[in-house]
Amino acid sequence: MGTQYVMKRGWTEFLEANKKAMLEQWLDCALALFPEKMGYSTPIAMVFSGALEKILSSLGKSENDCKEALDDVTRILAVQNFPPSKALSIFLEPKLILRDIMMKTTVADTLMQEAFNSRLDALTLEAFDSYMRHREKIYQLKVEEGSRRMYMALRRAEA
Amino acid sequence: MSKYAPKLSELKKEFDEKPSVLKGDYSAQEWWDRPVEFRDGNWCFPGKQEVLADLGFANPRKWAATDEDWQLPADWQKTISDGLQSRLKKYRSLKLFLDACVRCGACADKCHFFLGTGDPKNMPVLRAELLRSVYRNDFPLVEKILKGFSGSRKLTKAVIKEWHMYFNQCTECRRCSVFCPFGIDTAEITMLVRELLNLIGVNNNWILAPVSNCNRTGNHLGIEPHTFVQNIMSLAEDIEDHTGVNVDPTFNRKGAEVLFITPSGDVFGDPGVYTMMGYLLLFKHIGLDYTISTYASEGGNFGMFTSNDMMKKLNAKMYHEAKRLGVKWILGGECGHMWRVVHQYMNTMNGPADFLEVPVSPITGTRFSNAAATKMVHIAEFTADLIHHKKLKLDPKRNDHLRTTFHDSCNVARGMGMFEEPRSILRNVCNSFHEMPEDTIREKTFCCGSGSGLNAEEYMDIRMRGGFPRANAVKQVKDRHKVNSLVTICAIDRASLPPLMNYWNPGVSVYGLHELVGNALVMQGEKKRTTDLRENPMAGFEDGGDDDE
Repeated sequence: MGTQYVMKRGWTEFLEANKKAMLEQWLDCALALFPEKMGYSTPIAMVFSGALEKILSSLGKSENDCKEALDDVTRILAVQNFPPSKALSIFLEPKLILRDIMMKTTVADTLMQEAFNSRLDALTLEAFDSYMRHREKIYQLKVEEGSRRMYMALRRAEA
Repeated sequence: MSKYAPKLSELKKEFDEKPSVLKGDYSAQEWWDRPVEFRDGNWCFPGKQEVLADLGFANPRKWAATDEDWQLPADWQKTISDGLQSRLKKYRSLKLFLDACVRCGACADKCHFFLGTGDPKNMPVLRAELLRSVYRNDFPLVEKILKGFSGSRKLTKAVIKEWHMYFNQCTECRRCSVFCPFGIDTAEITMLVRELLNLIGVNNNWILAPVSNCNRTGNHLGIEPHTFVQNIMSLAEDIEDHTGVNVDPTFNRKGAEVLFITPSGDVFGDPGVYTMMGYLLLFKHIGLDYTISTYASEGGNFGMFTSNDMMKKLNAKMYHEAKRLGVKWILGGECGHMWRVVHQYMNTMNGPADFLEVPVSPITGTRFSNAAATKMVHIAEFTADLIHHKKLKLDPKRNDHLRTTFHDSCNVARGMGMFEEPRSILRNVCNSFHEMPEDTIREKTFCCGSGSGLNAEEYMDIRMRGGFPRANAVKQVKDRHKVNSLVTICAIDRASLPPLMNYWNPGVSVYGLHELVGNALVMQGEKKRTTDLRENPMAGFEDGGDDDE
């Protein structure tokens, strides 16, 4: 049985009922990555809040739905002062959040939980790709900046 | 008690859950015990030995911030202590800033570096406390007696490392000062700590190399006079190719009415050179009697980021050259920190310039009494006045391919209070202009994250963090209004915002204000224009399009 099929079954209702709680907990984990927990009204919290919601909503849908939101999150993480392992750990957090919620409620759909976990694993790997693209971009920016700064000298050299 | 007050159990829960310097792994430690860790991306290369030797600066040596031993001079503690003491006597403002702060925290979340990193030592109050804690250990008598109660600490090598880390995560933008009820100028605290660090050879090559170049040839890149002229003439040839107009600039011409000084980034860097082309077109358009100096060939002043004396020395060439050439007044190009130096320090440092006249626009007759002391006018004021008096023939449709927003450069906005002039120009030279959110512009503008000499390539990670609040505000107008052009009036912005946009908001290009003026100017005798100064096609002006005014 495909992941997407299982995710669809019951997921929409479950998410509807628990989205707010899941998002709050997930956002708290993400904001706590920083040396001093980021305030909710900071620009980083705003971006995280919007992007994590899109990611969560897209989990039951097709796989490319949240690419932009994923990029928004990893773009911030890729230039922070903590290692990639810590940065990307936020994509594993929802597993624990989901488990806690299921333990508290009567919903205990093992199939759905497994499907959710495997979707999150895939998402974490996608996030890793995205994170690396941003790191590559940083190196590219350094090269481009050097050329721009020497624009007139290079122009004369090429003439 | 108010029913809205949080319950004790809630506060305890929040305290337990929220990570903080006050507890967790650091529970038994003071905030200053958190070690600093230098790693790739968070430190700038130190000043090269030959650069320091050229300038006569202290302690030239080969070292890196990642080294355990920074090879400080033997008497470094005394040097810093004496240095601080002499500056406390010299600058009353410093003593006031160190004594007056009540740690209210109004500044805490206003700093773009704090918002981009979440690092508590990037709260302006705590950053300044890095110095204050040392000051309190050694200076006011009462606090010497109350040692242990006053939050004082000894000056150690770890403190020097901490200063180097955090006073290079301040761009001297002064956004925090806007919110300080006492008006404490945190930028001046940063300037002073960097000055102290330079006394013992703790420094940044990206600042010192331009200082040394400026000291030798007059500009940051060390361009010699003939190359400086060649570059500008090459841009003049480009202008002739694009527009058919010969702008014919002059250099070092005695008896010109106006001396024009701009940051040298406008003469050699992309996209600054297009702004330079805009200036040249404007001056030709109005027939200004001006000259450009190959000696005062730099508006910027990285001396401001090293020491007061060096800032004064590098600034002096503006008046020297104005006097030598016998001009009436000075016109200054688009720059940020240059205008903090000119507007706030030049008159007392190197003035009074009584050999110059109070600037009067030869075209409109407007007397710039705001520049009566310095005798130097900002080009945005000058151009806005020309437009106000309808002295320019402009076709804003020529910028229809650009959907713009405006970034207030920190030093022009907060350093000299200029908000309306650039906006007035922008509204007249283009048809699409959308403001970023209100708390990110004008006096509350967010810094580009690379000012005050932090524009080094190796510092890219920190620059991207520090620039995030600005980039995030641009994203909002990009999403809402399809903005594709970020217009600015600062040379460091023109250098640092392109990578910032490329990282956070791909598709947004960076423009100097006078580049857009240059695009829009309808020149006498021009040929049919189909491209802008960057040779990008202008919307609606393709071959066969309507180019009539």
